[in-house]
Amino acid sequence: MDTLTNWHERLISKTTRATLVTTYKYWLWLGFLIVVTGNGVFQYWKQWQDGLYVTDMRDRISWGLYITAFVFFIGISHAGTLISAILRASKASWRAPVTRIAEFITAIALLVGASFVVIDMGRPERILNVYLFGRWQSPIMWDVMAITTYLTASIIYLSAPMIPDLALYRDRLVDKVGAVRNIIYRTLALDWKGSPKQYKLLGRAITIMMLIIIPIAVSVHTVVSWIFAMTLRVGWDTSIFGVLFVAGAIFSGVATLIVIMAILRRIYHWEEYLTEKHFLYLGYLLAAFGAFMIYVNINEYLTEGFNLEEAGAFAFRQLFLEDFAIMFWFYIIGGLLGPVVLMLVPRTRTIAGVVAAAILVDLAMFLERYFIVVTGLRVPLMPYEPASYGPTFLEWSIFAAGFAIFALLITVAIKIFPMLAIWEMTEEHEAAIAGEPAEEALMTAAEVAGSGASTERSPSPSRPAEEGAS
Amino acid sequence: MTNRHILFGARFATSVLVAATILMVAAPVLAAGVDIAVGAPDEVSVGQNVEVKAVLSEDGIPVEGAEVGLTYQASLAGESARVEIATGTTDETGTAVMIYEQRADDNGEMQVVYLGPDTDPVQPFVFTIAVESAGPQLYLIEPGVTIPFINGTLVILVISTVWILIALAAVYLVRVGLAGRRDEASAAEDGSMWISALLATVAVITAIGMVIVFVRSPVSNTHIKDPHLYDRTPIAYVGVGFSYEGFGLDDESAGQTGDPIEDGGVLYFKYGCAACHGLSGQGAVVGSPLVDEIGSFGSFSEDTREGPKGMPGYHEVTISDQNLEKIYDYLKAGG
Repeated sequence: MDTLTNWHERLISKTTRATLVTTYKYWLWLGFLIVVTGNGVFQYWKQWQDGLYVTDMRDRISWGLYITAFVFFIGISHAGTLISAILRASKASWRAPVTRIAEFITAIALLVGASFVVIDMGRPERILNVYLFGRWQSPIMWDVMAITTYLTASIIYLSAPMIPDLALYRDRLVDKVGAVRNIIYRTLALDWKGSPKQYKLLGRAITIMMLIIIPIAVSVHTVVSWIFAMTLRVGWDTSIFGVLFVAGAIFSGVATLIVIMAILRRIYHWEEYLTEKHFLYLGYLLAAFGAFMIYVNINEYLTEGFNLEEAGAFAFRQLFLEDFAIMFWFYIIGGLLGPVVLMLVPRTRTIAGVVAAAILVDLAMFLERYFIVVTGLRVPLMPYEPASYGPTFLEWSIFAAGFAIFALLITVAIKIFPMLAIWEMTEEHEAAIAGEPAEEALMTAAEVAGSGASTERSPSPSRPAEEGAS
Repeated sequence: MTNRHILFGARFATSVLVAATILMVAAPVLAAGVDIAVGAPDEVSVGQNVEVKAVLSEDGIPVEGAEVGLTYQASLAGESARVEIATGTTDETGTAVMIYEQRADDNGEMQVVYLGPDTDPVQPFVFTIAVESAGPQLYLIEPGVTIPFINGTLVILVISTVWILIALAAVYLVRVGLAGRRDEASAAEDGSMWISALLATVAVITAIGMVIVFVRSPVSNTHIKDPHLYDRTPIAYVGVGFSYEGFGLDDESAGQTGDPIEDGGVLYFKYGCAACHGLSGQGAVVGSPLVDEIGSFGSFSEDTREGPKGMPGYHEVTISDQNLEKIYDYLKAGG
C-alpha cells in the first residue's frame, strides 16, 4: 500500500507540475502562437471587409484550403473517440494515460474545425439562417446537425471522467493557483466527494456517453463525406467515401494523438506514464488503419478506373499523372505505405519510428483532404477549360491561425486541466500491482484519487464506476 | 489513224470538258436543290421521346452523309430564340432519324435544317408538333421512391434518441453534484452543481430545438404528415447538350421596351426572382407565390429591399425603384 501511495503522490506531482510550473519557454511558445493567431485574425478581418474575393476560390473551384482544414480537423477529432471510447468499451488496460489528451484533442479540434465552415462563408453573419430556414434536403444541414451533436457529446464526454481529477485539483491546489482557476475547479468538480454513490452515478454518465459517442463520431465523418458524395461530381459521387473518411479520420486522429503525446512527454517528463508500450500500441493501430486505407483506395480507384467514364479519365490523369500526382503518390507511398513499413521493420519499431510515422500520416491526410476537395471541383462538368486554384497568402494565414488556435487551446488547457487521467491511471496501476482485474481494486484508488482530504473508507468492495457498464 | 478518228477524239474530249465544266458550275445549284421531307407525329406529350425522320433527296436521288438539325422556337420573358434539340446524319436511303425528349409545353414552329457538308443555303422544312397540355412546369422529373417509415419520422426518432441519451448523461452529472451536497454535512464549499444543471438544460433545449428545426423546415422538404412532399422536388429542367444561345438578359437594353408589363417580365428573370418564385411568379419550392398574394407596392418594395426570411434583400443599387415598379406591374398583371 505504501508503494501505491508513493506512486500516486508522484503521479499527482508530475501531473500538477505541468499546471503549476511555467518556464520562459512556455511564454515564448504562447507568444508565437498568439502572433500567428493574430495575423490570422487580421487577415480574416480583411476577408470580412472585402468578401471571399480575397481568396483564390472562384465560381468553378469554390472550396479550397478552408474546407480542407474543416475536414482535416473534424478528422483528427476522432482521436478521442477511438482511443477513449472504443478502448474504454473494450476495457483495454493500457488506455488510461492517453485518454485525457485524446479527449482534449477531440473537443478542441471540433471547435477549430467547425469554425472553418464559418470562415468559408461569404456572409458569416447569416449563420443563424441555417437553423431558422434550414432545408433538410441539403447534406450541409445534416453536417450542422451531426457536428452540433458531436461537439455537445464530446464536451460532456471530456468533462465527466475529469470530475474526480478536478476535485483533486480543487483540494490540492487551492493555495497554489489564483482565484480564476479555483473557481473553475470548484465549478467543474461538481461537489465531488468521491463517495460510492457519486462513483456509481458518474460511471453511468460515462457509460452512456462512451456508448453513444462511437456511433455519433462515425456518423459525423460519414456525413462530412456525404457533403462530397451526395453530389454528381466525378471523383466525389462514390459510396466508399463514408468508409474512406471515417477510416481516414481515425487514422489522422491517432497520428495527431501520437505527435501531441510525444511533445508533452518530452516537455513534462511523463516517460513513466507514456511508455514505449503506449506508443507502440498506437503505432500498431496506425499501421492497421494504414493497411485498411490502402485497401479502401485500391477498391475505389480500381473500380472507378476499370469502368472509366468519360470525365473519369480527366480525374484520373490529374491525380495519378498530372497536376496532383506528387501529392497523390506522397499520400499513397509516404502516408499509407510508410507507417505500415515503419511498424513492420523491427529497427524502426521505436518511439521515434512511431512519431515519424504519425507525422507522415498527418501530412498525407492533410494532402488527401486537399486533393479530394480541389480535384473534385476541377473536373469540368461542361466543355470548358479546367479551372486552377492555389491558396492565397491570406488563406494560408487563416489556415495557419487555425493550427495556432488548436495548439494555443491545448497549451492553455495544460495550465488549467489535469492532462493525465489520475484516478483512472491509479486504478489501472493498482490492478497491475495486485495482479487482478481492475474491477476488483477500485475503491482504494477511488478513495485516494477522489478526494485527497477524505479518509473515510467505503465498505463496498465492488467497483462503483463500472457498475453502469455491467 | 484517220482524220475521222482524230475528229471523233477531239469532239469527244471537248464534250467531256464541256460536261465537266457544266457540272462544276452547276454543282452548287444542284446542291441547293436538296429537298427535305419530314415525318413526325402530330401530337406528343411532355416527357415523351419523340422520333422525327428527315428524308433528304436531290432530284429524287437520296442524299447520303448529310448533317441535319432539328430546332424549335423557344420564347421566355418576351425574348425568343431557336433552340437546337437534336441532330442526325442521313444514311444511304437519305434518311436521318432524330430523337428528342419533349420538355417544353409548346414547340412553336419546328424546323429541320440542313447543316452540311455543303455550305449552300437549303430551304429548311417547317412543320409543327402540337404538345398536350402539361401544366405550368416545363418538365417534371420523376418523383422519388417512397419507402414507408424511412422518412422524416425516422430521422426525428434517431435525433431524439441521441439527444435524450446525451441529456440523460447530463442528468446523471447533476445527480453527482447533488449527491456531493447531501454527503457533506459541513458544506462549506461553494456549490457548483449549477454547471451540470445548466449542461443538462442546454442539452434538453438543443434536443427539442433540433426537432423543431426539423419539423418547421419548409413544407416541401420533409413534411411529416405528407411523405409525398418528401419526394424529390419537381423542377424546371434544361438538359445538357443544347446549343443554347440564351436570351441576353444581361443586355443593358433588356427590359427597356417601354411596356411596363413586358419589361417587368424580363426584369423578373434578369434579377433571378424566377429562380425561387417560379417561372411566372406562381411560387415554387423556396419562394412563396407572388402573383395572387401580391399586396400594395409599398409592402412589396419593403419586402424586396429587406429580404424577409431566407430571401436576400435587393438594395436600390441592384434594382432601381423604377425597375422594381415594372416587376410589380408584371406580377400584378398576373405574371
